Amino acid sequence: MSAVVTPLDHPRAGLDSCVHCGFCLQACPTYLALEDENDSPRGRLVLMRAVVEGRVAIDDADVATHLSRCLGCRGCESACPSGVPYGHLLEAAREQLAAVRPLPFVARVILWAFARPAVLRVALWFGRMARDTGIAAELARLPGALGFPFAMLASTARDAAVPWTPRAARTRGTVATLDGCVMEGLFTDVNRATERVLAANGYSLCRAPGQQCCGALHVHAGDAATARRLARANIAAFEASGATFVAVNSAGCGAMMKEYGQLLADDPDWRARAAAFSARVRDASELLAAAGPMPGAPLPRRITYDAPCHLEHAQKLTAPPLQVLAAIPGLEHTPLDDREQCCGSAGIFNLIEPNVSERVLAAKMRCISATGAPVVATGNPGCLMQIGAGLVREGRGAVARHPIELLDESYARLER
Amino acid sequence: MLERAAELLVYESDGLPGYHRTPSLAVFPASADEALAVVRELAREGVPFVPRGAGTGLSGGALADGAVLLGLQRLKRIIDIDPVRRVARVEPGVVNVTLTKAATRHGLHYAPDPSSQTACTLGGNLAENAGGPHCLKYGVTLNHVVAARVALPDGSVVELDGDDGGYDLLGAFVGSEGCFGVALELTVKLTPNPERIVTLLADFSSIDDAAQTVSAIIAAGILPAALEMMDQATVGAVEASIYAAGYPTDAAAVLLVEVDGAAVGLDEDVQGVNRICRAHGARDVRIATEPAARAKLWQGRKKAFGAMGRIAPHLVVQDAVVPRTKLPSLLARIADIGAANGVRVCNVFHAGDGNLHPNIPYNANDRDESARVHVAMRQIMQACIDAGGTITGEHGVGLDKLPYMDALFTPDTLDGMCRLRDVFDPERRANPGKVVPVRYCRERRPGKLMVDGRGQMVDGATAATITAESGA
Repeated sequence: MSAVVTPLDHPRAGLDSCVHCGFCLQACPTYLALEDENDSPRGRLVLMRAVVEGRVAIDDADVATHLSRCLGCRGCESACPSGVPYGHLLEAAREQLAAVRPLPFVARVILWAFARPAVLRVALWFGRMARDTGIAAELARLPGALGFPFAMLASTARDAAVPWTPRAARTRGTVATLDGCVMEGLFTDVNRATERVLAANGYSLCRAPGQQCCGALHVHAGDAATARRLARANIAAFEASGATFVAVNSAGCGAMMKEYGQLLADDPDWRARAAAFSARVRDASELLAAAGPMPGAPLPRRITYDAPCHLEHAQKLTAPPLQVLAAIPGLEHTPLDDREQCCGSAGIFNLIEPNVSERVLAAKMRCISATGAPVVATGNPGCLMQIGAGLVREGRGAVARHPIELLDESYARLER
Repeated sequence: MLERAAELLVYESDGLPGYHRTPSLAVFPASADEALAVVRELAREGVPFVPRGAGTGLSGGALADGAVLLGLQRLKRIIDIDPVRRVARVEPGVVNVTLTKAATRHGLHYAPDPSSQTACTLGGNLAENAGGPHCLKYGVTLNHVVAARVALPDGSVVELDGDDGGYDLLGAFVGSEGCFGVALELTVKLTPNPERIVTLLADFSSIDDAAQTVSAIIAAGILPAALEMMDQATVGAVEASIYAAGYPTDAAAVLLVEVDGAAVGLDEDVQGVNRICRAHGARDVRIATEPAARAKLWQGRKKAFGAMGRIAPHLVVQDAVVPRTKLPSLLARIADIGAANGVRVCNVFHAGDGNLHPNIPYNANDRDESARVHVAMRQIMQACIDAGGTITGEHGVGLDKLPYMDALFTPDTLDGMCRLRDVFDPERRANPGKVVPVRYCRERRPGKLMVDGRGQMVDGATAATITAESGA
């Protein structure tokens, strides 16, 4: 057996399973938006294979462009009959690319901050200030990519939730929740709501101090080393909590933590611990679905649901979030066309590839408008902010909400 | 427009991954007008070009070796749907299943349903005269295209209408594999959705029993909407994929039979098929009526080709058609050929039409295995021809079946094909090197490159040598 030379060589078996059938093309948001196969899964796999075979260099400007323009939504994996592990191949290609070609400045700053809790806390404090003083909403009016990040920030504003105290008789096991960087920083209320609804459905909550960023943004950008460091810290923190389950209400973070086993597969000291940890990770909607979930009080509201890619494609969880919504009487759910297609958020993609992201979001907004629903439910901070920003700019007053927020509101009404 | 080497790599192959040909340039017009302008510019400069849809073809038909690749995937507008006349006007880049989705609210669908229908374009379907499982009852693309607005390679535009009097030029254009010009707009028939559909899955412990059943069903006077067969190797690949349909992996072969039509009387057909399957040794017959259960049975069949990647990295796909009654003996012969050459043949095909798809997954980097695969393929094709069959049912000749044309047609017939082509493309610039072997269709242009019998661009002198060596 030949020695592993590059990250892309390593999953070579995965690269070889593509038979070029093209079934992925229509599942790819960037292909649909840009209409060039270089921006499709099949095309990117050809480029990766060409790199492995030495036909092009990894730092070829075109190869770099097309690999960078991938959302990493893994919608193609849900269409692929051959089971090409596209997400892992992309991460490997990006790791190889990052070694020879530095990431854009904005990406480096963001990744640097996310790997440092103290820095991130300060940054998110400034974000909350800008949001709560209304500055973000004003700056959201700036045209194009300039105002978009402020629209994202403005969309995270919430009216103060009515606190209520969950009561539950039986216990379904202990749960430690992932706070998450953006979730705890900008969606604090959603985190508290998650804890309340889990408790109401019979889970005992415990804390896991010392937890950090999940590392998903780093892996997706090609910085696997930092991601491994963060993964080890998280595994240790959650092990110490003694919880049966690790509950995550952010689809992207959950997908990453379920893959710590693969991320640390080459680390003999951590391999087994990582696999055991990943086996305990659940999306919050999975835990709720396993519990029923308990029905709430009527919440008469028209909604539509958009599937976060890292739930639908990466974690293959289609039903649980819908079961969460089904536990709310009175919700009128209008199905969203192409709900399994990416909204263009894709971690920090919308900040480093704003033009492509904007085109992908435009397609999503057309489908959302067609439903006429004033509330879009989706369970991932990136999607909440991306669609939220789209709705802020649309100006018809519609909002994006986490399904758990809606369930929490429904439960709060039970108490009244 | 793409011209840089790395970006052109992506357009080296279509749905058949064994072939790689690099275009000199790739152009992607955004409208029919732009497409026409490109065709006219190419005509002015005398440059050969190859039209391409989604690149899902399985005969190497959309490969451009040094020629200009004309990608039509951006022409994806459904211009209008007329539910009263049951026709749709579409641009060539519209994806097959997209039209059906758009027609659903009128209770209509586009009937030809190639397995790649979630990806392939209607323009590509037109070029290849694509089929699909349901063509057994509803007919192939040819039967569903009403008219086409076509840019001929010289840049002139003609309207081909199947209902006009005179010679059926539309009929000649459908299935011309991009050699006669580029369709800019298609008018196609839409078919009413049947009142009721029932899908049956029968599993057999012998391939021969399954093959005998196929003819018996048709002989009983039942015309199923689809009658498909998959062997054990194929079922294994599908069941390992995300499209697992619950097929029994221990069966030697399964038949997927669909009957549809008016609700009244359909049960008789269902019971008829059930009875015939059991009489021919079916171990079990599952009957699905609910849309979700039927869709599950079908998705396994539709994604079977893609799932072959689970067995080996490369794949040869054949598309021979034989008389239905010859299926049992031919399947036995194919198994013998596979065993003799030490290759694994996976059969998944439109049994009701006698349209075989023997697939051989292999590793192209293994020279010995590659050689054995190609010997086996040639023997399989010869066996089909000897049984009174032909070399392609729905995938087209393209580049891949070029070597078999001599075995099937006389030089006079091939010459006739060239003369038909001359009517549309006298300069033979559209999709050069495909369909008819070059020694019959001399694609020589003074002072320009030409295409040899393997579909490769060579200079005039080299081509002359090849032509001489091939004895033409």
